[in-house]
Amino acid sequence: MREQKHKNSGYHRHSHGEGHLSIDYYAYMSGMRSWNPDFKIISAALFLICVIAMDSMAVSALVLVTMAGLVVIKGQLGILRYFKLMLLPFIFILLSSIAIAFDFSLQPKGEYCIFLGFFYVSATRASLLETAGLVLKAFSSVSCLYLITLTTPMGEVVGFFGRIHCPKLLTELMYMIYRFIFILLDAQRRMAIAARSRLGYTDFKTSLFSFGRIFSNLLVISFKRANAYYDAMEARCYDGELNFLEEDKPVSAGLILAALLYGAALMVLWYTVGR
Amino acid sequence: MGEIILEVSHLTYSYENAHEGEALHDVSVSVSKREKIAIIGSNGAGKSTFFLNLNGVLTPREGAVIYRGKPVGRGKKELNSLRKNVGIVFQEADNQIIASTVFQEVSFGPMNLKLPREEVTERVEQALAYMNIESLKDRAPHYLSGGEKKRVTIADILAMKPEIIIFDEPTASLDPVNAAILEEVLEKLEKEGSTILISTHDIDFAYRWAGRLLVFADGEIIADGAPVDIFRNDEAVERARLKKPALFRMAELLQRKGLLRQDCYPKTVEELEAEL
Repeated sequence: MREQKHKNSGYHRHSHGEGHLSIDYYAYMSGMRSWNPDFKIISAALFLICVIAMDSMAVSALVLVTMAGLVVIKGQLGILRYFKLMLLPFIFILLSSIAIAFDFSLQPKGEYCIFLGFFYVSATRASLLETAGLVLKAFSSVSCLYLITLTTPMGEVVGFFGRIHCPKLLTELMYMIYRFIFILLDAQRRMAIAARSRLGYTDFKTSLFSFGRIFSNLLVISFKRANAYYDAMEARCYDGELNFLEEDKPVSAGLILAALLYGAALMVLWYTVGR
Repeated sequence: MGEIILEVSHLTYSYENAHEGEALHDVSVSVSKREKIAIIGSNGAGKSTFFLNLNGVLTPREGAVIYRGKPVGRGKKELNSLRKNVGIVFQEADNQIIASTVFQEVSFGPMNLKLPREEVTERVEQALAYMNIESLKDRAPHYLSGGEKKRVTIADILAMKPEIIIFDEPTASLDPVNAAILEEVLEKLEKEGSTILISTHDIDFAYRWAGRLLVFADGEIIADGAPVDIFRNDEAVERARLKKPALFRMAELLQRKGLLRQDCYPKTVEELEAEL
């Protein structure tokens, strides 16, 4: 069903295959889209703070499992996609955790030690445990942020910033930048296809040339587009303030209660199990 | 003919950095209530510039736009009331759609009119229902097809409830199915008493649909009248490099052969069949 929808979504379908923009698409299709965005953002932020402040493996693990479960099951994202998305931070976390867990020295030391030619790679039980805790904490934090990004489209996130009285200049810029990313990407894609059809990417040198040409053209296009946009906005009585009506998405009392209970559960876990 | 809503008198406009001189020269025209006007003319004849002047986005260098008997000044209030009453559906949907969901997009106009929240919601929902795109309400514009985007841009304007709706080359990027949907919408608007201006290169559509044609060439209106009269005027046809509509030529041919009575110009194949 989801795949079907994906295919039917118009001529942009090739631009959000499984690339970074697919995150944007998932947010629109999410089963949790109808939840109140403020609720989602605030609770995810609070759980994120819990994970960092409590610094407990049990809490991190629980948050990771629930956040992932929510997005995958309630948001109907599919477990495979979620894993793929987690791969992105995984590489960063892996690299940094290696540096923390292992020690490199010329003398053998630590509880675990391997001799590699002329130096030793060593680790202690404590350092391994600490790293495991850290990795879990990192993933758990990412899962909280993913709860926001994978269920709440950008427009709603910007709306939230507006409601917490972020300067209007910033929120309006966010709206515009978000919209223009897609317009410019589309323009770029068309030009790239046109260039490719005229052998614009046959070898490295021509590729560089085409690439440069397309991007300088993009600048010209954005100026022209900006003018056309301004005319169209003025035609609809634009007077210096971007005003959209956001639909009310009421928060159900049940959800708030669930979030509070969940927070309490984290507290209890932290007190009883601790680290 | 109904009452005159919008008048343009001796309007001249030139772009600041244009080398070619005036984009519009001494254009005078008046639009009455419930008129269906098609505007034809080659690219660069000044159609889009004319529209932007009608709606107050561009200010005429000379001459005036007169809305309901009052010349529109340069004050913000006057301009906004003109813009509220004369809506433009732009040619490129992607140059018009600004918000990140369809609902927000359609709400942009009514919100700028400073209407109360409930009324904005009601108008947006009405406009979406009118264009039959309620199901797209929460979608992002960048995931819509070309035809869907066009319908969103029309809903944009309908939500502002203008007296006159201008379509700038609406059929330019539409496939036959979406063009047919557009014609249905036009018919519906017409029944409800809207005044409609459409610029188009589709001469057959203009002939079939319009009650009046405005022919632009080189920034001037060179002919203004009923479609049949204009196409019978060979001089105007020549000057604007117009092609005569297929059905019009067919009628001329049949008249010459004595198969159709003189001065009978059917606008559709069905009308022609009834005549024969």
